[in-house]
Amino acid sequence: MSEAAPKSVLALRERTPLPPALVLAIFFHLVIFAAAFYLPRLLDRPPPMRKPIIAKLVALGKPRDKSLLPRKESPPPAAAAAPVAAPGGKAAPSTAHVPTRRELMERALAHAAGRAASEEKPDEERAGQKTGSPQGTAESSEAGDVYFTAVHDAILENYVVPSVISERERLYLSATVLAYIGGDGRILRHDLQKKSGNPFFDQALETAIRRAKLPPPPPELARSLRDNGVVLNFKP
Amino acid sequence: MMILLAILLAADRPVIDLSGGRIQAYPLALARPLGAQETAAVQSVLQADFDRSGIFKLLDPASFLAPASEGLTQIDYSKWMAIGAQGLVKMSCEAAAEVKCDLRLYDVPRAQELLHGSYSAPRAGVRQIAHRFGDDVVKFFTQEPGVFQTRMAYVRESESGKQIVVADSDGFGPQALTGASINLLPSWAPDGKTIAFTSFRDGAGAHLYTVDVTSKQVRPLVTTGDFATGASYAPDGLRFLFSSSLEDNTDVYLSQNDGSGRRRLTDSRGIDISGAWSPDAKRIAFISDRAGTPQIYTMAADGSDVRRLTFQGNYNQEPTWSPKGDLIAFSGRDEHRIFDLYTVNVESGKVTRLTQNQGTNEKPSWSPNGRYIVFSSTRGGKRQLWMTAFDGSNQRQITSEHVGASDPAWGPLPAK
Repeated sequence: MSEAAPKSVLALRERTPLPPALVLAIFFHLVIFAAAFYLPRLLDRPPPMRKPIIAKLVALGKPRDKSLLPRKESPPPAAAAAPVAAPGGKAAPSTAHVPTRRELMERALAHAAGRAASEEKPDEERAGQKTGSPQGTAESSEAGDVYFTAVHDAILENYVVPSVISERERLYLSATVLAYIGGDGRILRHDLQKKSGNPFFDQALETAIRRAKLPPPPPELARSLRDNGVVLNFKP
Repeated sequence: MMILLAILLAADRPVIDLSGGRIQAYPLALARPLGAQETAAVQSVLQADFDRSGIFKLLDPASFLAPASEGLTQIDYSKWMAIGAQGLVKMSCEAAAEVKCDLRLYDVPRAQELLHGSYSAPRAGVRQIAHRFGDDVVKFFTQEPGVFQTRMAYVRESESGKQIVVADSDGFGPQALTGASINLLPSWAPDGKTIAFTSFRDGAGAHLYTVDVTSKQVRPLVTTGDFATGASYAPDGLRFLFSSSLEDNTDVYLSQNDGSGRRRLTDSRGIDISGAWSPDAKRIAFISDRAGTPQIYTMAADGSDVRRLTFQGNYNQEPTWSPKGDLIAFSGRDEHRIFDLYTVNVESGKVTRLTQNQGTNEKPSWSPNGRYIVFSSTRGGKRQLWMTAFDGSNQRQITSEHVGASDPAWGPLPAK
């Protein structure tokens, strides 16, 4: 009696059930990929994100006694404003400064952009620190992420909220924009991910993004900002 | 772990929070008036209203590129876009026995009509056409009532005394309601028909009276004791607060609107004065020096649950509650011994300064929409009425009284 021809290895493998461990591994991989794909959509909210600290430069001034009534917040002097004498230093020479053609042009451009220097005198009692900077914006300093502070300040400089939006509406208006930044600092594209519901407000933040001149990102951030973008949460 | 890792890798995005954008007025063009000459008068009033509001930035007509012949509805939006207009107002009036005006508001970037109204008034009342359309425009944008049609009461100071006067909210058409004895602190009843005020007219001290805004008839309200002052009507108009020394001390009292049923609400050893209602009538702000210096306190409408609200400064006075309920405006004396205007947030206690380095600023009174505050100021030399936005921006002079004006009280919205 001849024995049946031996089964090929391939045939044997076809009939052999997969090891349970392999099946489980395939199953778990499928679950992981499915979860990675669907979970963010199911949760319908952005995944955990990193919140950079926006640096604040302490203003030059005197620390204010907390028991006194507050002073009006005064903006930092504009670049085109007259120089302020350093504390304790000699007063600036009284000879009238004749503005150069370039200065005149810068002033005109600043005026056209609504950034003209305030006509009010600089506030000598401005709250701040004696070691602060004339360009400071806060009563106390806060160290932060240099590049994102620059992005924040560049957009804020162009962020103009129209006054037709009522104070009450300003309390709850918010919008989210996802902006992708190129290696040269240009905003490559932006998506209004969450509209505010007020067309005047949405228009204002689109304008702020369009006009903002951002510095080029540092090399370690360039790829992420180009591919993943940065989330901008706007509130009035 | 792997799931979380996958999610994190999917989008590691930095998030930047942006707030505190500059509030900038909405660029608005008032096109050249069309039709009868009354249109120019309407436009002039409307222009002043919009300018005073701080909401709009009116564009210089010299920059207009559109031809004067451009009609009410055939609009070349590109020419208005080119000068930076976001909004455009067109108007045309016809004058016969009365003046009829067609006023329209356009959205320039979107090239669409936003508002269209027809208004009529007697020839003497063309100003009201402008005020009505102005209020409609404000309401359209902000969803809040405009205040161009409202009126103000104040004290006109003269060589012979002080009289209660009522004028339009832009200071136009002041009318004296009382003679010129010493009359102070007007306070509107919520229906806008009567005004309570403090007067020394009877020669027996300071007492409370009311005057009918239409008939100018004066009636006594509280004339007992030698000191009753500073009436403040509840939002329902059925009760009012006042300060009095009817008993040993000076305290805040509550009374029915006919002066009956008086009840003392405060009983501290200090002086308690200047009661002011919250808009929901559940709480009352007042001034007390019970802790050594005059500060703002609040209490429940029955006098219970007293809480101190201000802790900065050593002389805070004249509290007045915002119609929105979130802020109380007051005047406070700073370290230079000058009175200026402030607001304090009722919830957080945060104090914000509204005026600074511009004379003495006192007696704040809120507009009925809570957007503006009228006050008296000596910044121009004479004491006059000024108004400001609630955040201290856009301060404008309202009155130009010969000797001076003080104690403003912004009236309620007109009945519909």
